[in-house]
Amino acid sequence: MKLLTHNMLTSHVKGVVNGYPLLIKATEVKVNEVDFNPQFVSRMIPKLEWSALVQAADDLGQREDLPGEPVPEYENNEEFLKKVHRVLLEVEVIEGFLQCPESGREFPISRGIPNMLLNDDEV
Amino acid sequence: MSSQEGGAVESGLNPAAPPASCCAVRDGDVLAVTIGATVPTGFEHTAAEEVKEKIGVDAQIGKDRGRIYFPITTDQLPQVHLLRSVDNLFVVVEEYDHYHFKESKEETLMEMMQLASKLPWTHALEVWKLNGKLKKRKGYRKGGNVTKVKSNSEVADATVDDAEQQKPPQAVSAAESQTEAESAAAMETSTTDSEEAEPAAKLLKFRVTCNRAGDRHSFSSNEAARDFGGAVQEFFQWKADMTKFDIEVLLNIHNEEMVIGIALTEESLHRRNISHFGPTTLRSTLCYGMLRLCKPQASDIILDPMCGTGAIPLEGAIEFNISFYIAGDNNDMAVNRTVNNVCHIQKRMAEKGGASGLPIDTVQWDLCNLPIRTGSVDIVVTDMPFGKRMGSRKKNWDLYPSCLREMARVCTPGTGKAALLTQDKKCFTKAISRMGGLWKRLHTVWVNVGGLHAGVYLLKRTGGVFGQTPEDVYESRGTVKARGDETGDKELS
Repeated sequence: MKLLTHNMLTSHVKGVVNGYPLLIKATEVKVNEVDFNPQFVSRMIPKLEWSALVQAADDLGQREDLPGEPVPEYENNEEFLKKVHRVLLEVEVIEGFLQCPESGREFPISRGIPNMLLNDDEV
Repeated sequence: MSSQEGGAVESGLNPAAPPASCCAVRDGDVLAVTIGATVPTGFEHTAAEEVKEKIGVDAQIGKDRGRIYFPITTDQLPQVHLLRSVDNLFVVVEEYDHYHFKESKEETLMEMMQLASKLPWTHALEVWKLNGKLKKRKGYRKGGNVTKVKSNSEVADATVDDAEQQKPPQAVSAAESQTEAESAAAMETSTTDSEEAEPAAKLLKFRVTCNRAGDRHSFSSNEAARDFGGAVQEFFQWKADMTKFDIEVLLNIHNEEMVIGIALTEESLHRRNISHFGPTTLRSTLCYGMLRLCKPQASDIILDPMCGTGAIPLEGAIEFNISFYIAGDNNDMAVNRTVNNVCHIQKRMAEKGGASGLPIDTVQWDLCNLPIRTGSVDIVVTDMPFGKRMGSRKKNWDLYPSCLREMARVCTPGTGKAALLTQDKKCFTKAISRMGGLWKRLHTVWVNVGGLHAGVYLLKRTGGVFGQTPEDVYESRGTVKARGDETGDKELS
């Protein structure tokens, strides 16, 4: 599971109002090489929940020096964009859990696949 | 064994047979030819677009559906093989727009037989030969044409690769690898002898495949194939073989239009990305066509909420890699197969050197209850259960409205789009008609999927905020799913 995906995922347990962002507990993390496309990264930034991204990267110990806010005029700042690229697409959680921040319900991640299926009584 | 012309042109053919065209062609000459391609019916225009984009020429759409034609010079042949919207390729020997078939069967077939010796075979056969050499190289279509840059440089390094043994292809049938090994063996001699000498009289095997459509013909496709094939055999002294052939001659007849061609691809390589099949895996050319219809932009988030083996998002991650793909399914086997397919491609990419990560992720989820933030997805592309091989008609009645709503929820209002493939047109149309507040129908592309008549419905997400459209208000009043109620009540309160 890449952190870009994590940024989109939310808890949908019945009754939960604030299911975003999911907490990450990882037991295995991998860093892959993915082709860097500056346009992709700079257009993605406005679509992201930045604080959730930084928090997630932090939880995985992969934050490095990613700032708490996107730097001004990031579109032309290749150095910054590369940092974001790395955190969004190259860091992957292979094994671990996602946790609903409100209900505490855990969703396992195995082989990089988060299992978000709910039991019948939770829907 | 010397040819009557200057160069080693008609190597492998009987030199006694007078060539139909009298211009001498030497290996390395660049020829102008017309290429024909079969594409999924309904996607002729998207295929023509791809040809314009990648080859830079205008394609004609054949009168018989599912075919396009475009002119190239032989140096462009490698790029032609990189086209993602074509199933099969052939080189045109001759085309007749208005062929006047005779009244009687005997006369018509006789004329066809005489045609065999008069057709301009030379250039087409040159292209076939050149194509055979391309196929031998590692990374040719079968092995993977994932990174375009790499493929081109491999073609340039021809002499190095020729000597190597071709790696067995990873996808599909054994028959393919057999034929390939044979033509590789045939070609190997000619290239190592610096392309001048003739190969040691290898007898070429061929077959004729005839496709005929129209109600005014006096003959059947079998008869045409048989008689035309007989004349071809007579002319070239090739050996007829229905299964282990080197050359496949195509005779395509559609009313008054007749096209004779030579095949450049064996068995359609539909499922080039998929090594782990599922029960309903969609062919890659169809996946490509559907994605192209949506015109993915840089940083678009593209969702396939019922991905099966991941064919659609994987094709996207490879071919439209400026976007990001999230593939999901509720089924254990499906998500595992998807991940296996992704890993397989990434491994191939890694073997060629360079970055091997693809912009795709897989999640296990319930598509009627997606764990995705509202309004965060740009495009939804998926193959919806048809109710025949997967699911059931009755299930579709409940499933379609629920998943259409959920897809509307996650799609960005105003700009979001969806391309949904389904055969259950009745159920789909009904479900969509009740969602005018969320989805607007754009156009529909009619396609043929495994013999079933299906539609790719292109939808645009309206600007309507989810939970506040009239249908939501109506539906939240005590019907359907519990979650639907919850959302409705919450929005109203």
